[in-house]
Amino acid sequence: MTPLHHATLGVDGTYPLLLGLWLLPLLGAVLCWTFGPQLKAAAGWLATGFLGCSFAATVLSWPAGTQLIGGAHGAHQALLSWLPGLDFGLLLDPLSLLWALVITGVGFLIHLYSIGYMHGDRAFARFFAYMNFFVFAMLTLVLSDNFIGLLVGWGLVGLASYFLIGFWFERPSAVAAARKAFVLNVVGDVGIMAAVFIIVAHVGSIGFGDVFAASPGFGTGVLFAICGLLFVGAAAKSAQIPLHTWLPDAMEGPTPVSALIHAATMVTAGVYLIARCAPLWSASPNAQLLVGSIGAATALAGALLGMVQWDIKRILAYSTMSQIGYMIMGVGVGAYDGGVAHFLTHAFFKAQLFLGSGLIIHALANEQDVRRMGGLRSKMPFAFVAMATGVVAICGVPGFSGYFSKDRVIYGTLEHGHPWLFGVAVVTAGITAYYMFRMLFVTFMGEYRGDVDHVHLPDWTMNLPVGILIVPTIGIGWLMFGGDASPWNRFFAGQFASGAPVTQPAISEGLTTWIVLAVVAAGIGIAYLRYGTATASADAPARLEREAASVPPVLANAFYFDAIIDALFVRTSQGLGRFLGQTADPLLVDGAVRETALSAGWLGALTRSFQTGLVRAYALVLVAGAACLIAYYALAPGAFR
Amino acid sequence: MIAFWVLSVVLIASAVWTITAQKPVYSVVGLLANFAALAILYLTLSAEFLAVIQLIVYSGAILVLFVFVIALLSSGVAPFAAGPNRMPKAALPAVALVCVALGFVVFAVTRGEVAIPPPPAGSTSALGPVGTADVFGSVGDFGKALFTTYLLPFEVTALILMVAVVGVVLLSGTAPAKAPTRRRAAGVRRELREAVVRDGEDRR
Amino acid sequence: MIENALPVAIGNYVGLSAVLFFIGLTGVLIRRNPLVMLMSIELMFNAANLLFLAFARAWVHNAGHIFAFLVITVAAAEAAIGLAIVVAVFRDAPFVDVDEVRLLKG
Repeated sequence: MTPLHHATLGVDGTYPLLLGLWLLPLLGAVLCWTFGPQLKAAAGWLATGFLGCSFAATVLSWPAGTQLIGGAHGAHQALLSWLPGLDFGLLLDPLSLLWALVITGVGFLIHLYSIGYMHGDRAFARFFAYMNFFVFAMLTLVLSDNFIGLLVGWGLVGLASYFLIGFWFERPSAVAAARKAFVLNVVGDVGIMAAVFIIVAHVGSIGFGDVFAASPGFGTGVLFAICGLLFVGAAAKSAQIPLHTWLPDAMEGPTPVSALIHAATMVTAGVYLIARCAPLWSASPNAQLLVGSIGAATALAGALLGMVQWDIKRILAYSTMSQIGYMIMGVGVGAYDGGVAHFLTHAFFKAQLFLGSGLIIHALANEQDVRRMGGLRSKMPFAFVAMATGVVAICGVPGFSGYFSKDRVIYGTLEHGHPWLFGVAVVTAGITAYYMFRMLFVTFMGEYRGDVDHVHLPDWTMNLPVGILIVPTIGIGWLMFGGDASPWNRFFAGQFASGAPVTQPAISEGLTTWIVLAVVAAGIGIAYLRYGTATASADAPARLEREAASVPPVLANAFYFDAIIDALFVRTSQGLGRFLGQTADPLLVDGAVRETALSAGWLGALTRSFQTGLVRAYALVLVAGAACLIAYYALAPGAFR
Repeated sequence: MIAFWVLSVVLIASAVWTITAQKPVYSVVGLLANFAALAILYLTLSAEFLAVIQLIVYSGAILVLFVFVIALLSSGVAPFAAGPNRMPKAALPAVALVCVALGFVVFAVTRGEVAIPPPPAGSTSALGPVGTADVFGSVGDFGKALFTTYLLPFEVTALILMVAVVGVVLLSGTAPAKAPTRRRAAGVRRELREAVVRDGEDRR
Repeated sequence: MIENALPVAIGNYVGLSAVLFFIGLTGVLIRRNPLVMLMSIELMFNAANLLFLAFARAWVHNAGHIFAFLVITVAAAEAAIGLAIVVAVFRDAPFVDVDEVRLLKG
């Protein structure tokens, strides 16, 4: 064990704003929980207000988070010191500042949106308590300056996710989805916990600064073990293969939940973890290869599955999975700023898409099947604009935000020497363009195919956040324009020192951009030909039914992941449980207890048989003893004196 | 010496009769003979006072008590030993055990000369003819020893007797002691059951 | 003055005492009538007394007399208590039999 350095990453000090932005959502959650029945509809405004204050505090913390004093980057607030090496504190550096801004900012908009969306729900206050609690948990995760604090936040967001997926707990499918998400996330938690054990064993401290300072001394195997175990957690939380199956099911939750937790923030925790542990990853090429490959595989698998979905939220869920695959691929191979950039833009355009789909779902009385939509462009022009902006952004059309970030990720794979991943990323970009435009065309073009007579247009609390989100959806990417001189690179100056390019790619960045654009254009073109033209929309209902019936089984069953997990783990653990419950427990545990009782009873019966109650029997035993004594004294030499 | 052997025969015969007699009254008679013979033996051992005590206390008080209880019990419906013998085969091992123990005692006594050690110090009395005052075993000699040297045992005797009196009063006093026999317990249970049944009928 | 010596050797007294004691013991063991059992116990007391007096005479030391006196007292107390118990237990029992008193049966 190496001596403790107590190296912190930020400038030590007292930062009331940091504490405020961290604890305000918790206060809101507690108030909503405690006084829910009294607050009624005011609970939404209360929770939104607390989150707005938290967002304001985050913005005001910007100077503290970006300060750079003598190599220490950002702000560090010590909270408590428990044992030597177990110091807890908050760290606000550019990376966590970015996440905090997104969590509180996007979270604020989604809270505002939820006031309209959840209007009239029986458990209105409970919903906002959960939402605020989630924000607190997520802030704990990203603001923690050590692995255990991160793990605590990691677990709490899983809990909040469980609460919110199962929010409508009277639906069995929601309960099942919540349980599935929770169990799969616990698998990840255990992975991180194991990694923390290894870290504590080798470093003797849990602080990020200490661990990164000690990381050059790790052996290759130890480093790979730490990274691999951390990635188990990241994969579970960020829906990477093979722990991704909970994410599509998680769409059982209310749509704002999907937007906030299962698109914008929580599912990107894995990206945060890898970006945070960049010094560890950069030192372990094996881990980089593993994580990059799994990210690419997830991106491709998500896109392929997105092509055959009809539920609008499931399309978005698979696209989320696919886009997180991009991010993981980016941070996994070492292009940390690319992966993080894609997180930022994705947070906006995916929240935009989910909230936009929420407008539609809300308007069509909870209809989610795109086959029963169509022609909504004229009925809901605002929703069309919102969705179209999001779709264009996610596809990477030049000028929109996704273009800049995805470009960084794709070129980053080349810069870090992974041409195969580059190939997968390009193909996935094309598929993404295809299925997102397919969704857009089927939903908004042609004739209306549903049976809702009156479209229930949402009020301003829902429209306003969507409208606000359009701005960053389009424009946030321009922050990343301009290479090293861009605001983005200057913001992160020094944060990802270990993520510098390792090779000079054979093809230039401009050429890769053109390749991607060509593939994307092809995807959009195919989608237009299949779903966008007037002839395509003419016989839409029948053709969509036909198409739904002819989906390849491998895609219809989502690559059989559920079946494989079911066979490998669920069945075996059920069998083990059945064995333990029906055989081992009655035989061993109950048996031991029963045998103890029986032997006590047997012993009692034995000794009881001596207690005849007959005076003469007792006297006989007494005389026998006396006779023995007499015999001794008669026989022993000298005893009779 | 002749007296010893004659008295030994009487003592053993009367003792055997005591424990084998079918009726308790005969046992009392046997015991009376035993006590009388023992008193005479005490006289040959110069224990004049104790011989008298033996007759007065044992024959006069204790045996009368036995006779009294026998009369009390046999005047009622209770015959002696009417229940089943719960240890029918106990007699043989008991007698065998007793014979073995007796054999060991006799063996121990005859194994070697039981030497009489020199008398312990403390006794000032002298042997003399029975009936003479202040010789060993006379009332005066015994009384002096009892109220001087052995005062504490004497007081303890008083305590024992007092405890016995209290115990007897408690056991057979005015409030009849209801010893919990199985028969009584069954009776109490029956009464309770009937009370419950009555209660149920009343409610109905 | 009479002679210091005992009428017979001390071992004879010990043997007689032992025989009487074991006859009493046998009575306790084989009889079921509590009265006879109590009488057998009296026999055992008397056997012990005989031994006390024999040795007192052998040593010309009246401590043995005191002990015998104590034993007689205890015997009287024992007889009184024992008979009271017998009367109390069998006051309304159908027969006087120690085999029927077995409340300590497990």
